[in-house]
Formats: sequence, structure tokens, C-alpha cells
Amino acid sequence: MDGSASVALPAERAVGWLASTDHKRTAAKIAVASLFFFGLSGLLALAMRAELAQPGLQLVSDRSYDELFTMHGSGMIYLFLTPAALGLGLYLVPLQVGAAEVAAPRLALGGFWLYLCGGLAMYLGFLTDSGAGSDTWTATIPLSSSTHSPGVGMDLWVIGVALATLGSLLIALTILLTIVRLRAPGMTMLRLPVFSWTMLVTTFMVLASFPVLIVAMGLLLAERHLGGVFAGSTGSIAYQHLFWFYGHPVVYVMFFPFVGAVAEVVATFSRKRFFGYRALVVSLLLFTALSMAVWGHHMFATGAVQNQYFSLTSHLLAVPAGIEYLDLIATMVGGAILFRTPMLFALGFICQFLIGGLTGIVVASPPLDYHVNGSFFIVAHFHYTLFAGSLFGLLAGVHYWFPKATGAMLREGIGKLSFWLLAIGANLTFFPMFLLGFDGMPRRVPDYAPRLGDLNLLSSIGAGVIALGVLAFLANVCVSLRRRVPAGDDPWGAQTLEWATGSPPPRHNFDSLPPIASYAPLLDRREAREGAPA
Amino acid sequence: MSTRQDFDGLFSLYLGIGIAVAVVVFATVAFVLIRYRAREGRVPSTRSEANTLEVGAAALIVAVVALLLFRTFSTEAKEDSSSAEPVRIDVTAFQWGWRFDYPGQGVSVVGNSNDPPAFAVPGDRPVHFSLTSTDVIHAFWIPEERFKRAAIPGRVNDFDLTFETPGGEEGLCSEFCGLRHSGMRFDVWVLSDESYERWMAAHR
Repeated sequence: MDGSASVALPAERAVGWLASTDHKRTAAKIAVASLFFFGLSGLLALAMRAELAQPGLQLVSDRSYDELFTMHGSGMIYLFLTPAALGLGLYLVPLQVGAAEVAAPRLALGGFWLYLCGGLAMYLGFLTDSGAGSDTWTATIPLSSSTHSPGVGMDLWVIGVALATLGSLLIALTILLTIVRLRAPGMTMLRLPVFSWTMLVTTFMVLASFPVLIVAMGLLLAERHLGGVFAGSTGSIAYQHLFWFYGHPVVYVMFFPFVGAVAEVVATFSRKRFFGYRALVVSLLLFTALSMAVWGHHMFATGAVQNQYFSLTSHLLAVPAGIEYLDLIATMVGGAILFRTPMLFALGFICQFLIGGLTGIVVASPPLDYHVNGSFFIVAHFHYTLFAGSLFGLLAGVHYWFPKATGAMLREGIGKLSFWLLAIGANLTFFPMFLLGFDGMPRRVPDYAPRLGDLNLLSSIGAGVIALGVLAFLANVCVSLRRRVPAGDDPWGAQTLEWATGSPPPRHNFDSLPPIASYAPLLDRREAREGAPA
Repeated sequence: MSTRQDFDGLFSLYLGIGIAVAVVVFATVAFVLIRYRAREGRVPSTRSEANTLEVGAAALIVAVVALLLFRTFSTEAKEDSSSAEPVRIDVTAFQWGWRFDYPGQGVSVVGNSNDPPAFAVPGDRPVHFSLTSTDVIHAFWIPEERFKRAAIPGRVNDFDLTFETPGGEEGLCSEFCGLRHSGMRFDVWVLSDESYERWMAAHR
């Protein structure tokens, strides 16, 4: 791809790639690692759905099931969606702001290695006598103490989570520094593309909340080996405060960047600039501020927090979220909409995330949360946000920017096939879980009442359809890289600076930059050429 | 009023508004996709801002949120209030079972995941629960009453429930608590006053 390594041996080239500080290559490493952890954690989910297809214990033991859901949840959150969101930002933000490089490239590379080592440490727990972590993705005290969860596997989990989170923190820091210090001349804050704005507020949340989780994991390790850190009921409640102070903002860390990706896709394929840019910026800032003040809604049923306060702040999230929906839809109004694969995934995100968002308002109400908290209703709710929402947003972005990063187009036919398989599979898997939870199925159980068997079977069949959709996507990537259809600089007629350079971009990103007078400089240039009103 | 009735009243409001919002959004998206699809000669609009619309939308959402919060807070206040002269039951959760004590009555029921316990309550009367745990955090959930509370070691959580429908209801732990979490179940018998007294006498 770039000429400098063409005479080197394959092993040297591999080392060169692994050690490269080019933000595009660091992001590619993050993409490969997060895809790897997505695959592993996804296989664990398939094993769970196989066990849950019928009541009774058929395939796994109680103990293995606890490892499956713990490693599935923590793998997807700490090792897939969070780093994938930040990796997307690391690739695109320098290009979108017209920078030749990321600020602090070694820090970003170090962040990647910390994240990878953390992920491997977590998964290596499977090889220990005590097994992998099995205390859910939250590792609540006192269950995660050495009395109730002894063994080196859980220690590896705690250390792994801390390392992976530190890695993500460093990557986010470099993105923030890039936006603050390396914007091209003319790229004012109110000309920053929508995706870069979503990344900017994401890095705010990362910087404010991730250190708290790292500290919590350090204290948990001390508790496990020295004891007395989280003593008594105040200790266990304090741990939950620390954890959820991280644990709610991270939900939006796994959401905002994909809203940004969807916004870019919707604007490009509607042939319009994004609608309500300044209102969106205000709503993102409001959303970010609120995101730091809602963590207690995870603790409504503990009876140990001010439920009214956290209910108020959580309900208020509907205001900025509503503005984001208004802007996404209004961008399409009056457009000339093209239904290419990235647009299908973006529309899937908009429709499916809505269900996750609306059920989120239900669980913001304590009397309603008392019933559905800890049940499959919650599992359905957050899979509508994280899978049917964020993953679809990520795939919208991947299908949209793949030609930029590789120089090759993805196939449309197989892309649309994978979209429909994933959309059908997601709804078949996750919608029945609302009904299951409402009807009394708790989370994190390998066995359940026989009356719940039919809906569980439906959900397990859906998981199989999702697996086919993922395979179709992987096949699309392989075929498109083997038999390349060249993309050119700007295959979509897009609006932001990353499309004003080669595909893939050169090491230094840009040979020259177009004038920057708005958040859609390439659209400005086209409109000026066509003589349309500016 | 039982927590189930409180829940049903509040949930129907949230569900109704949720479905209305979803229908409006889906219909709008479908209309926009058909009306503004790319066709021969279609020139995209260059309009990109309408801040009155944004402020109006925000105000509308604030109004809906205010309604939801008002109903949430009044329901919550009702559930938090304690009634006079309730039946008292102390619940102790442990790995992996439950113990139900009727203080001053000399009645206790205990059972674990191999042999889940069943306890009785009189119908249509407030029952005051004092819930705690001896080891890790559990949660006391009776789906038919639409209610749960965490059982936290070193802390007692108090709440009232009123059981209305006579018969059996299932209860379970809904906070992951280790190996036999899925077996941590119990049954509640909701009895008439006479049957309840007979049940108590039989368990003394």
C-alpha cells in the first residue's frame, strides 16, 4: 500500500506493520483485534443460546454457563464495542480535521498494545484451573471477593479489564489532542464534521469515567488479596457507585461514534448536508453532561440511592436523543435518497435503536424498573441499543469507509444480504426477550421455567440467523479484498475531507486540502461548481 | 392498591406513549424514504437548519417527560409509604436459598435450591417485608407482583406488598449470586384469612 516497505521480507513487513505509529495502521490493528474479540465473544453467545433453546441443562454446567455470559458481556463491552468505536475515531478524526498525523501517535500505539494484552489476559482465564471470570461484566462485591470467587482466573479478569480500559483511555486521549491541536487552517470547531464532534464528546466521557473503572479494578484486586477495602454494606454499595460511574457513560461511548457514522452516511446518501448541525452539537454536549449524572438508575432496586434524582436525569436524556432523531430524519427530508448498503445499515440503526431508546425510558422509571431490572427485559433493551443499534451503526460506518481504508469497494449484493440476515436475526433474537423478562425470566440463568420454552427457542433460532449474517459480512470482506473493485478517492460523492485524498490515504494523509468553509467542504465545492445556491 | 396495580397503571402510560412515538417515527421514515428516494431529475434541497423546529421539538419532549416524571414520582411515593399494622415477614437470602421468619409468631420457613421454600401471606392485606442477605447480594423478585428489591448483606431493605389474587405465585432471585443462582426460587401462597391462620398454626 505504501512503497516504503516493498523491498522488505514478509516478516520484516509484519513487524513494521505491528510497530507502525501511523494512526491508520494503529486503527487497523484495533479493527483486527476487536473483530477477533467480537468473534470469540459471539461464539460464547451462540453457546448460551444453544443451552437456552430448551429448559433444563443440556450442554454446559452451571459453572461454564457463568463463564460464558461473563466473558460474552465483558468481551463485547471492554474488548469489542469500546475499542472499535475509538479505533474508528483514531482512523477518521485526523483525516476529517485535515491533519497529517494523530497527536501523540506512540501513545495511541501503546494504547492498542495495552488493550490487546488486557483482552488476552481476560480470555487466558479459560486456561486456568479456576476457569475464566464468572462474576458478570460488573463483578459486584461481595460476589467477586476472594471468599466467593477464589482463583487466578478472576484475577486475570480484573487485571485484563484494567489494562484494556487503560488502553482505550490512551487512544481516546490522542483523539482529543488531535481535535484540539491539529485541525487544519479554517477547520473551526463549528466546521468540525458531525462524526468528529461525536468523537470529541466521546473522548470527554472516556476521560471522565474510564479512570474511575481503572481505580475500581485496582481496589478490587487489593480487596481480593489484602481484604478490607469494600467492607460491609457500605463497601458493596460504594463499589457499585464506582462501577456505574463508569458503567453508564461507557454505554454512550459505545453509541455516540456510531450516531456520528450514521449521520455521515445519511447525509451522503440523501445528497444533502446534515440538518440541524448546531442543534446537534448542543444536544451532544447536553447528552454528555447528563450521561455523567444518571449512573444511579442501575441501582434503583438497591434502595440505597436517591431514586427520584436519577430518574429525573435519566428521563431528561430523551430531550437530546429526540433532537438527534429529528436531525437524522430531517436530513433525509427533501433529499435524493440512495439505498446502498451503508444506508441500509444506517436506517436499521435508526429504526432498531429507537426500540432500545424507548424501552430505556421505561427502565428510567423506578416503579417499572423494580419489575424488569435484572430480567431478560433488560437484556432485550440493551441488545436493542448495543447490537441492533450500535453494531448496525458500526457496520454502516464499515461499509461506508471500507473503500477509503482499503481502496476496494465492498460488494453490494452480499452486503445487502448480510444486512437483511442481521436485521431479521436481531429482531428474532432480541424481541422475544422483552416478553420473557416481563413473564419472569431472570438474567444469567442456564435453566428456566418450562412455560418459557417456545420464546427461548425462537430467540435461539434468531441467534443462528445472526451468525449467518456475520458470515455473509466476513465473506463480503474476503471476496472484496481478493477480487478488488477499485474505489477511487470518493466513490460515494461524500462531503468531508477524508474523501479528498487517496484510497487508502498516503502516510501523510493529504497532498493538498480544499478550502474549508463549513462542516461539509466537499459538498461546498460541488455546489460551487454546479452554481447552486450556497 | 397492590404494586401490581401501580405498575400496570404506570406501565400502560409508558407503553402507550412509546408505541405512539415508534409508530410516528416509523411512519415518517417510511414516508420520507418513498417520497424522497433518488429519481430522475430530483434535486436535493439545500435547507439545513430550522432552529424553531428544534426548540419546538425539545419543548414537546420536555412536556412529555414532565408528565412521565409526575406519574413516576406519585407512584413511587405510594410504594414507599408504609401501612399501619401490616403482617411482618423477615426475609433472609443466602447462597442459594431463602429463609422467611414471622417475628413474634414462632414461624419460620427455610429452603434452598434443592428444596425451594414456600411461605404464606394473607390476601388483600399489606405485608411488610424486611429483606437482607447473609453472604452476597441477591434480589427478591415476585414477577406477578411486578416488584423486586436487592438483598444486601449488612443492610435491611423494608417494603410493603399487598397480594390480591388468591393462589400460588413464584418468586426468584434476580441478581446473579453464584453457582446455583438459577435454582434460587420460592413460592408464595396467597391465602384467605382462615386458611392463613391454619397455615400458621400448622407451621408453629
